[in-house]
Amino acid sequence: MANSEYGLLIDYHWCTGCKSCEMACSVEHDIPIGQFGIRVDQFGPWENAPDDWTYFFMPVPTDQCDLCAERTAKGKKPTCVHHCQAACMEYGKIEDLAKKLTDHPKQVLYAL
Amino acid sequence: MTDQENNETIGQNAGLGMSGGGKVVPMQNDPTAATRKDTWEEDGFTVVRGNARTAPGCHDNCGILMYIDKDGKLDHVEGDPDDPYNQGRLCLRCLTLPDVVYHKDRQLHPLKRDRADRGKDKWEQITWEEAYEICERELRAVQEKYGPQAIQVFCGTGRDIVGYHPMLANILDTPNQGMGFLSGQGCYVPRMFSTTMKIGNLYTGDYSQNWIDRYDNPNWVRPDYVVIWGNNPVVANSDGTLGHWIVECMKRGTKLITIDPKLTWCAAHSEYWLQVRPGTDSALALAMAHVIVEEDLYDHEFVDCWCYGFEEYQEHIKDWTPTRVAEICDIDEDLIWSAARALGNADGWALQWGVALDHTAEGFYSGASCYDLCALCGQFDKPGGMVCGKPSFGVPVTWIGSDTDWIPTKRNQYEHLHGDYPALRVIGMPSPDATLEALEGKYDYPVKAAWLQTNNCLANMGAQPQRIAKGLMEDDFNVVMDLWMTPTAMAVADVFLPVTTFPERFGLTGHQPYRTGAINKAIDTIGECRSDPQVVVEMGRIFKGADLFPWSDGEHFDEEAFYDYLLRNSGFTWDDLKSRTWAYPEMKYYRYKTGEIRDDGEPGFSTPTGRYEFYSVNLEAMGMRPLAFYEEPPESPISRPDLLEKYPLTLTTGARQWGFFHSEGRQVPHLRAIHPEPEVTIHPADAEKYGIADGDWVIIENQYGSCKQKAKIDIRIKQGVVSADHGWWFPERDREDGFFGTFESNINNCIPMRPGSTGLGCSYKSVLCSIRKA
Ligand code: SF4
Ligand code: SF4
Ligand code: SF4
Repeated sequence: MANSEYGLLIDYHWCTGCKSCEMACSVEHDIPIGQFGIRVDQFGPWENAPDDWTYFFMPVPTDQCDLCAERTAKGKKPTCVHHCQAACMEYGKIEDLAKKLTDHPKQVLYAL
Repeated sequence: MTDQENNETIGQNAGLGMSGGGKVVPMQNDPTAATRKDTWEEDGFTVVRGNARTAPGCHDNCGILMYIDKDGKLDHVEGDPDDPYNQGRLCLRCLTLPDVVYHKDRQLHPLKRDRADRGKDKWEQITWEEAYEICERELRAVQEKYGPQAIQVFCGTGRDIVGYHPMLANILDTPNQGMGFLSGQGCYVPRMFSTTMKIGNLYTGDYSQNWIDRYDNPNWVRPDYVVIWGNNPVVANSDGTLGHWIVECMKRGTKLITIDPKLTWCAAHSEYWLQVRPGTDSALALAMAHVIVEEDLYDHEFVDCWCYGFEEYQEHIKDWTPTRVAEICDIDEDLIWSAARALGNADGWALQWGVALDHTAEGFYSGASCYDLCALCGQFDKPGGMVCGKPSFGVPVTWIGSDTDWIPTKRNQYEHLHGDYPALRVIGMPSPDATLEALEGKYDYPVKAAWLQTNNCLANMGAQPQRIAKGLMEDDFNVVMDLWMTPTAMAVADVFLPVTTFPERFGLTGHQPYRTGAINKAIDTIGECRSDPQVVVEMGRIFKGADLFPWSDGEHFDEEAFYDYLLRNSGFTWDDLKSRTWAYPEMKYYRYKTGEIRDDGEPGFSTPTGRYEFYSVNLEAMGMRPLAFYEEPPESPISRPDLLEKYPLTLTTGARQWGFFHSEGRQVPHLRAIHPEPEVTIHPADAEKYGIADGDWVIIENQYGSCKQKAKIDIRIKQGVVSADHGWWFPERDREDGFFGTFESNINNCIPMRPGSTGLGCSYKSVLCSIRKA
């Protein structure tokens, strides 16, 4: 079981939907094709008002996420965080990450 | 002067591939270089640090850590967090690298096949010695019978071959070397050549990639705007630009202006998104220039002191009013005014251009029209603007240029296959379009053998691929070098040569001018594969003799000695580079003011006038139009209203997909799962009109041919335009079944092999078509 003190903070405003988190997780943990440790969902596109679009991506960790227990025990970052192309994911103690939520909008914190 | 000499003169004037006076360029201070290791032990693995290049193909060189297990096997890779280039990030392609390296379908041995059995699965495994013997015998026969110009040396993109193929052309004494069967040499060459005529060097957007400390460098300023023009940078990672550098700029306050018929993530996150009709980019650039000049927002100092031909240009853009162009591009006129004003008022802005600019018939001029905007706003050599891309440390094989002086050649004695096109006559490249006509006997020039390395033209970039297949299947001799048995190899090769992946080899990084890096060998070569440059050099030994090699006795290929030789003017050795993995040359802005751009040390740019030329003296001298202009694509709703009843939609092709590199990746299960089938994106209104539901198989058809792809109904695409995948073949199918079924979904069945008036530029993103349910 993952240590529940830790979580993932995702600044999804910058997430481009590149799926590197999905793939890094799948190859690290040998997750079969069709299952995911983290999965990137697409929202939109739809036009809220002229020239104003809702079109963003949201990575969601699944039950197969163990917060990269083996890696983090060695002091490494989870592989999704390490490889995220937008560098918009952060791993840390939930209480520290939670403080960052008030910095700016469009962030999500996963307690795992 | 022969064409070749003429080209070299123009090339020198233009500073193409020159290092800048032969001086050793100092390195940037690299604080971790002394302690940086290129290999270490970690948790039972040996870790080897290197750069990801090549094969498989990519336009980037991300820093990579290769984890090797006790048995010497590549277990997994990680992005190198210490490497300034990618700072740890990796895309899907490198993350799945071991699946490519150890793939069951990889070809691990040289093969031969009887010429009579082309297209049939009648391969026989042979040794390299025999493969080379056949190549020598057949290529010499072609040389003797028809002349060496009858041999075509063709590359594709993304492997480190662009810098080495000019060596091979020298070795084989042929003047014909280029991107085989890419109509109009339509990838970067049109943009690069026209803009080099205007400013003498190639410039790229400044995302801090020239600085070892990247975004923290005090000299660097983030661009106010990045103008993303016909490119989806986060997916494409094209031309040595890692797309997510732009996301880092956005985090620091950069805004985007995106010009694209499709709503990309970047478009949706832009201040202005201009959803133009495909192929109309030049018109838009002319109208934006019109606004910037009319509202007096241009950079007077830069235009007055450093530009040539402004009066003619000013006169020329008068007629290109936003009202007129809004109609041409099919966009809101206000958007042209606002976007142009934003650029006119910005401090620094960078142009992030894409291959879409080349993919219209007169695409030769699209890049030039965008550069004119950069010049109007004084963006060249400016922080957060456009930075000069000369080969780093003067090592030309890593960017644009080659290192061929040591190879005696007779290639200059033969006229190359330029097809009478003016730009190709000058640039010294063959016309792929004329090559096909020559194969078909419609153009008088012998084309009797093709050397295809990194080139899967039948599945990927060859327009009208059935014509190409037929032509090549009837010539005298073909060699294909690749990772897999590709449709092209299956159809036409007489000899197949297997290429290594990058963990199996040493080498130099390339396809970018920012720095020089080492490709580092981490595992033993698998099977009998060899690297692309190794095979080029070995052909040199065969055709020119062992005493050709300045670096060794030439009896065997000493990989490290070869790269040491290529670095001979850099100021460091291969060993230095290998142990530090990357080296950044000193970086400065405003070098045109200090005489550090031109080879003669004078201030200014490497053009005949020493200035940025709105009015290009060289282009005029070559008989081409000196000012950037716009012309309707040959098949558009405006130029061919007569076709609209049959072919009412505009067809654009080749949008990049996460995980694939052109025709690569279809056999990698993880990558295929993300995009399992060829897709055509259709606007919901068009889908309804033609009775198509999401997921239906659809026939896309026009006067050139047809193919079948799966409908993806999506409001992201402009109404009236359909966007079709390229590069599809089905490695899981039988080899003889239409060469892995490659013509079935090949969108190039619908694209003509026909360049623009200059010989450069093509129609991959701007023809007409119809769609119907299959
Ligand atoms: S933390 Fe590790 S296990 Fe969890 S989603 Fe990320 S990569 Fe997968
Ligand atoms: S790796 Fe990062 S940018 Fe890419 S999809 Fe995942 S969260 Fe988004
Ligand atoms: S862009 Fe992707 S494929 Fe290319 S080197 Fe970087 S991680 Fe590898």
